[in-house]
Amino acid sequence: MTRFHLVAAAALLLGAGSLATPGRAQDAPSGDAAKGKRIYLADGCFVCHGRSGQGGAYNGPSPLLAKTPMPFDGFKGQVRAPSNDMPAYSEAVMSDQDIADIYAFVQSLSGRGNAKDIAILND
Amino acid sequence: MSKRRQSPDSSRRNFLKSATLAGAATLAAPVAVAAQGNAPRPALKAAVPGPRQVAVETQPPSKDPVNQSSSGGDFMVDVLKTLDFDYLAMNCASSFRGIHEALVNYGKNQPEILTCPHEEIAVHMAQGYAKMEGKPMAMMCHGTVGLQHASMAMYNAWCDRVPVYVMIGNIVEANKRAPGVEWVHSAIDPAALVRDFVKWDDQPTSLQHFAESAVRAYKIAVTPPMAPVLLSLDAELQENPIPDPEGLRIPRLSRVVPPQADTGALAETAKMLVAAENPVIICDRLARTAAGMARLVELAETLQCPVLDMQGRMNFPSRHPLNHTFRRDAVLGQADVILGIEMNDMFGAVNAFSDRIVRTTRSVTKKDAKIITLGVRDLYMKANYQDFGRYQEVDLAIAGDGEASLPALIEAVKRLVDLGRQSAYEARGKKLGAARLAMVERAKSDATIGWDASPITTARMCAEVYAQIRNEDWSLVGNAIRNTWPHKLWNFDQAHRWNGGSGGAGVGYNAPASLGAALANKRHGRLTVAFQGDGDLMMVPNTLWTAAHHRIPILYVVHNNRAYHQEYMYLQAMAARLGRGIENAHIGTTITDPNVDYATVARGFGVHGEGPVVDPKDLAPALTRAIAAVKSGQPALVDVVTDPR
Repeated sequence: MTRFHLVAAAALLLGAGSLATPGRAQDAPSGDAAKGKRIYLADGCFVCHGRSGQGGAYNGPSPLLAKTPMPFDGFKGQVRAPSNDMPAYSEAVMSDQDIADIYAFVQSLSGRGNAKDIAILND
Repeated sequence: MSKRRQSPDSSRRNFLKSATLAGAATLAAPVAVAAQGNAPRPALKAAVPGPRQVAVETQPPSKDPVNQSSSGGDFMVDVLKTLDFDYLAMNCASSFRGIHEALVNYGKNQPEILTCPHEEIAVHMAQGYAKMEGKPMAMMCHGTVGLQHASMAMYNAWCDRVPVYVMIGNIVEANKRAPGVEWVHSAIDPAALVRDFVKWDDQPTSLQHFAESAVRAYKIAVTPPMAPVLLSLDAELQENPIPDPEGLRIPRLSRVVPPQADTGALAETAKMLVAAENPVIICDRLARTAAGMARLVELAETLQCPVLDMQGRMNFPSRHPLNHTFRRDAVLGQADVILGIEMNDMFGAVNAFSDRIVRTTRSVTKKDAKIITLGVRDLYMKANYQDFGRYQEVDLAIAGDGEASLPALIEAVKRLVDLGRQSAYEARGKKLGAARLAMVERAKSDATIGWDASPITTARMCAEVYAQIRNEDWSLVGNAIRNTWPHKLWNFDQAHRWNGGSGGAGVGYNAPASLGAALANKRHGRLTVAFQGDGDLMMVPNTLWTAAHHRIPILYVVHNNRAYHQEYMYLQAMAARLGRGIENAHIGTTITDPNVDYATVARGFGVHGEGPVVDPKDLAPALTRAIAAVKSGQPALVDVVTDPR
C-alpha cells in the first residue's frame, strides 16, 4: 500500500472521511472552491477520483477525496511527487494556487452520508 | 464479410459430384468436364495440347448429376449430435455451406443455429455459455476471414481456459477451388493462425477421420485445463455424397475425469495449512461446477481462514465472513501459508507493481511465508503469447484440478484438526468476520458519496440494479472494468450468480459472452443481468440483434462513461509524466461528439431500450420497465450515463 493510500485508508479507518478536521482544512492557503472545481474537472482529477470525490480506480483503487482529512501540505506533496501510480503534476502544469483551489473544492464536497438513511444500500 | 461470389465456372461443384460418382477414370478429365458447363470460360493459352488435354478432347464427357441423396455434411451432423451440443453459433459462409445445409434440413436445426453478425460474437457467446452451462457450444466460421474475426475471442477463451468447439470451412484441394474468392478463402493450414491459443486442431481428410477427430476434439476441450479446439472441415468432404455409408462409425465419447492431485502432496499441504497461524486461500478459476464453491467453503470453514477470490469463476460466496477479497493486502501481509488454487497469475496476486518510469515490484507477503499452488495450468502451456505471467517462486507446486482435488485436501485437513486447534480456529474466524463486516460498512458509507450526482455514480447504478433483482433468481454475467460494487455489496450465494471475466482482456467480450450466459440461464428461468461498458459495446453492438432474433432475455445496464476510460487515465499519466499538461488526454480515448444514444441503438436492433438516464432519480423507473421486458422474454438495455468509475 502506498503512502497516499495509507493516509486515505487511515482516514477511512478513523471514520474521518466525512468529518474533515476543521483545523487541518483551515491550515490550507486560501483557495477558491469554484475555481478549484473547474480545474478538478478540466485537468482530469475527476478521471480517477470521481466528480464527487468518491474515489475510483486506476491501476488500483484511487482514494476518495471528498472532505479529505489530509493536511494541505500532504495533499500538495502527493500532487507534486506522488508515491504511487498517480501522475505527478509539476508547477508548470498546476500552480500552488491551483492546488489550493482544488483543495478548497474537495473540502466543499458533501462527502459521505449515512448509509443507513439509504434503504437500498442495506438490502 | 465477403462470401462466395458467382464464379465464372459455376459448374464446379456438379463436376466434382460427377467425378466422385463416375470413379477414378473421370478424375483425369477436369478441364474437359469443366468445359461442359454453361458459364463462359477464358480461352486456354497452352500452345500445344499435352497428353491430358488430348485425353480430355478424345474421351466422352462424364456424367453430370444434379441430385444426390446424402452428403458428408449429413454424417458430420450425426457426429455432432452425439456430442451433446445444444447450440452452434455462426456467421454463415460458403466454405461450410455443405454442413450448414445438412444441419438445417437433415439435422432439423439441432444443434440449434445461433445467427451471429460477427464471428467474434459467436465465439464469445460460446465462452459465456460454457462457463454457465458447464459444457461447450459449437461455433463455425470461414477458415480464413471468418477465423481472423474469431481469433481475438478465441484468445479470450484460451486465456479464460474455457472449451469452445470451433469448426471452420476450407477447400483443401487446389484444383477443386473456383477462381477468385475460393482461393483467397482457402489455406493450406488455416489453424496456424490460432494454433498458439487452441489446445488441439485437425483437418480431417475423410469422414471417418472427421468422426474420430470430432470426438477427440470434444474430449480434449473439456479435459482440464480446458481450452478451445479447432476442426477444419474440407468443403468437398462436407458436400459430396457419402462414398461408403456402411463403413462409417462414430466413436463413443469417453467420460472425462479431471486429474486429481497427488494425495501425498495434498497431505503435505494439509499439514502446512493446519499448522499455520494465518493461512490464506487465493483462487481464480477454481469452480467448474457448483461443487467447486461448496468444497471451497468447506475447506475455508474447516480452517477458519480467509479466502481471496480473484473472481475468475463463482468460487466463494461474497457475503461469507471468510471472504476477504477486498482486504487483500491486509490479509496477505499477515499470511504464513498461502494456498493458490487454479490461479491465473500467482505472481500478480502476491506482489505489488508500480507503474512508474522505473517499473518495480515488491512482495506483499512476509519473507518467510510459504506458498503452495494447486491447479492444472502447468499441465498445458504454450510459449508465444505470455498469458502465463511472471514466474513466481513457490514452495510446493501441485499439478491437479482444483475442484477435483479439494475433497482429498479437505479430508486430509480434517484428519489433522484437533479440538485445541478448533478453538483457535473459531477465534480466528470471529476476528475475520468482524474485519469483513467493517469493510462492508465502510463500502456502504463510501457508496453514499455523490449519491444524487449526475453523471450517476457507479455505486448508485449498482445499488439501484440490485434493489430490483435481489428477490429474483438473478445471475450477473458481465461487468464493466474495475466495477467492484456488486462483489462488495451484493449477495453472490449460488454457483450461477457469477461466471468470471474475459480472460484475455480483449475488448468486445462482455456483450456477447453475457448473451451466451443468458442463453444458458434462459432454460433455468434466471434473470440475467450484465453491466456493459460502452467501449466494449461499441466493438460488437450487433450482439443486440442476436439477442432480439433468438429471444434471449437479458438486461444490459450500460456503464456509459463515454470513454475508453482506462486508456484515458493511461494517457493522462503519460502526459503528466512529461509535464505536458493533460488537456489533450481525451483525444482518441473518449466516445463523445456525438454521444452515443445506446437506447436508440438497442431499439434499432429490436431490443427494448431505456435512456440515456442522466438523473439518478430516473434510474429506478427505467430499470423497472426494462426488467418487465426481460421477464416477458425480451432482451432490454438501460443506458446509464455514469461517472468514470
